[in-house]
Amino acid sequence: MSEDAVIGLLVATVQFATLVYLAGLGELIAERSGVLNLGVEGMMAMGAVTGFMAAIATGRPWVGFAVAALVGMATAGVHAVVSVIMGAGQVVSGLAITIGGLGFAAFIGQDAVRERADAVFTDLGIIGLADIPWAGPILFDQPPVVYLAGVLGVAAWFVLSRTRLGLALRAVGESASTTDSVGHSVTLLRTSAVLVGGAFAGAAGSFLSLYMAAGWTEGLIAGRGWIAVALVIFGAWRPGRLAAGSLLFGFTLALQPRVQTFDLTIFGLEVNTISPALLGILPFLLTVVVLIAISFRARHRPSPAPAALTLPYRREER
Amino acid sequence: MTEPTHAPLHTVARGRARWHRVIVRPVLQRRARVAPAAQAIAFVIGIVLALIAGAMLLWGSGNDPVAVYERMAESSLGGFDALSRTLLRATPLAIAGLAVAVAGSMGLWNIGAEGQMMAGATVAAGFAMVAGDLPGPVLIVLMLVAGAVGGVVLVVGPALARAYLGVSEIITTLMLVEVAIRIVEWLKVGPWKDPESFGFAQISPLPDQASLPGLFGQVHIGVLFAAALLLAFWLAVSRTAWGYELRMAGSSPATARYAGISLQRKVLTALLLSGGLAGLAGAIELTGTATRLEPGLSSGYGFAGIIVAALALMRPSGVAVVAFVFGAVLRGGQSIQTLGVTSSIATILQAMILIGALVAAVLLNYRVRWVRPVGSGTDADATENPASAGASGV
Repeated sequence: MSEDAVIGLLVATVQFATLVYLAGLGELIAERSGVLNLGVEGMMAMGAVTGFMAAIATGRPWVGFAVAALVGMATAGVHAVVSVIMGAGQVVSGLAITIGGLGFAAFIGQDAVRERADAVFTDLGIIGLADIPWAGPILFDQPPVVYLAGVLGVAAWFVLSRTRLGLALRAVGESASTTDSVGHSVTLLRTSAVLVGGAFAGAAGSFLSLYMAAGWTEGLIAGRGWIAVALVIFGAWRPGRLAAGSLLFGFTLALQPRVQTFDLTIFGLEVNTISPALLGILPFLLTVVVLIAISFRARHRPSPAPAALTLPYRREER
Repeated sequence: MTEPTHAPLHTVARGRARWHRVIVRPVLQRRARVAPAAQAIAFVIGIVLALIAGAMLLWGSGNDPVAVYERMAESSLGGFDALSRTLLRATPLAIAGLAVAVAGSMGLWNIGAEGQMMAGATVAAGFAMVAGDLPGPVLIVLMLVAGAVGGVVLVVGPALARAYLGVSEIITTLMLVEVAIRIVEWLKVGPWKDPESFGFAQISPLPDQASLPGLFGQVHIGVLFAAALLLAFWLAVSRTAWGYELRMAGSSPATARYAGISLQRKVLTALLLSGGLAGLAGAIELTGTATRLEPGLSSGYGFAGIIVAALALMRPSGVAVVAFVFGAVLRGGQSIQTLGVTSSIATILQAMILIGALVAAVLLNYRVRWVRPVGSGTDADATENPASAGASGV
């Protein structure tokens, strides 16, 4: 197989990794505060369609990106009101966000399907670095969202593990009543975390419609939101491991459309006989394996999962 | 004089304003448990809110909401044929909803019903491939059994992990949905590809005799299976010791353990039954409405089943009602495409019904209590005030 094909695969790996990393980082922030949001798929769809429409209307991809983040945030707001403020079940509320978000996105995007995508992100091509063989195209000639995701990841790590706000956020995900008793507002912390998570998911959706697919169709998200949910578990609820996991999941996503064109034999296995559909199973199976491994290890040391995940908090029932 | 009872900590009327020292004021207090009647009201409120929001959406997109709703109602409820089309969609919703409700009645979330439906349909279709020569009734019965087996196969891993390792079934069952759908996609282009469909990849069609007999109009006898299953589980869960133990294991694990109930076995039974039912729903959908297995066969019924079960508070009777309403919404959503309105209105309405009902249920779950000022001279405790006890609802 040619050098170009390998570079193309790795370039796409970084982009798919960015996609699931952005959405996964948002879900991680929400889950660290104790709120499971199964609405990632719906929030991504809402961000993708509104971001695309806003970018077309204004001619500026960044406007679309910002609109997508705001719409993702608003969509997550429904989940926050229902599950955090009203204290209803997080699982059903999140699923409603996914089902409703996908339906809503399909409804408002009917006319956007035929639109041409002129206002999309372009590769940055960092001067001097983009011409380096291999590393240039893979690392230094990517769209700006890729670098933004990296910055956001470092920022999320810093806030979560090095600030008082992050401490409060992690505390409310472990034990809401304890956090409440030291004077933090459980509702405020969790609502903010869910809203930030929604903004990240919406932005990730627009990275699909404003760069990777450069257009909007009804099935655009195609399960990438569920991959983000899986990624948070695979990354053991830590931003750093999330990044490593996103590269692995991104690699499987990038490989799927390409695998059957690769004329390569590894350990006697002809790569081009691997089914793309079966390759797509890998992230989900790996996540199940990681979950089971975590539970085995939890006999010796504490589980990395936030202890209060999916538990609604009602002060009067404390 | 004893210390008067203070207002509950969590009150809407907060603050230390001076008026609250002298005036009898209302506070919202949470009820201990949701009453089924309140849930029914919440469901109706959810439907009304969803219809209002949907009307605004339709109006905003340049459609006439009245005309659209008229068409939806007429095509789903107006007459024999319309009702049969509604029941056709209510059937998989009811069985999938029941599947989720069985696990839910002991506090477990089977989020993977969608995947188990696909697994059930896949195993049933596979069985029809190897035993396609059997006479119709035998073949169909065996296919339905195979479907249940398929659902169980997909859920057995999460069930064991939950029962013996304590791994949350929410995520594991959800992950396997994507796995099941992708396996069908693989079968479609790979081993099960119809050799007679040149160029266009699709799975070989089912044998002709492998289709459920019709009942009336569009509906097939699967609707009778759904009704029988709902009845059977209503009896089992609410009228037998087994069902009582199941509910107790969910609501109070510690009590159940003291009573000598094996939680692990209860978790296993509930999840395996749940998966088997979802698999059966997949096989019924396959033999009832499809001519061949396709990756989109379950078309969201499994996920909608979770909403159905949640709205029904995991009760079989409620599942029947909610599944019928959702079936009508789906049928109505499909019919309005001839008016140039997208069927995605149906999914939006479903999600909005759920969200509206969730919010309404929480609000209905509070009651208004009139709290007298602290130290105002009367020792009439607010909790003993007969007037406040009668003031229920919002």
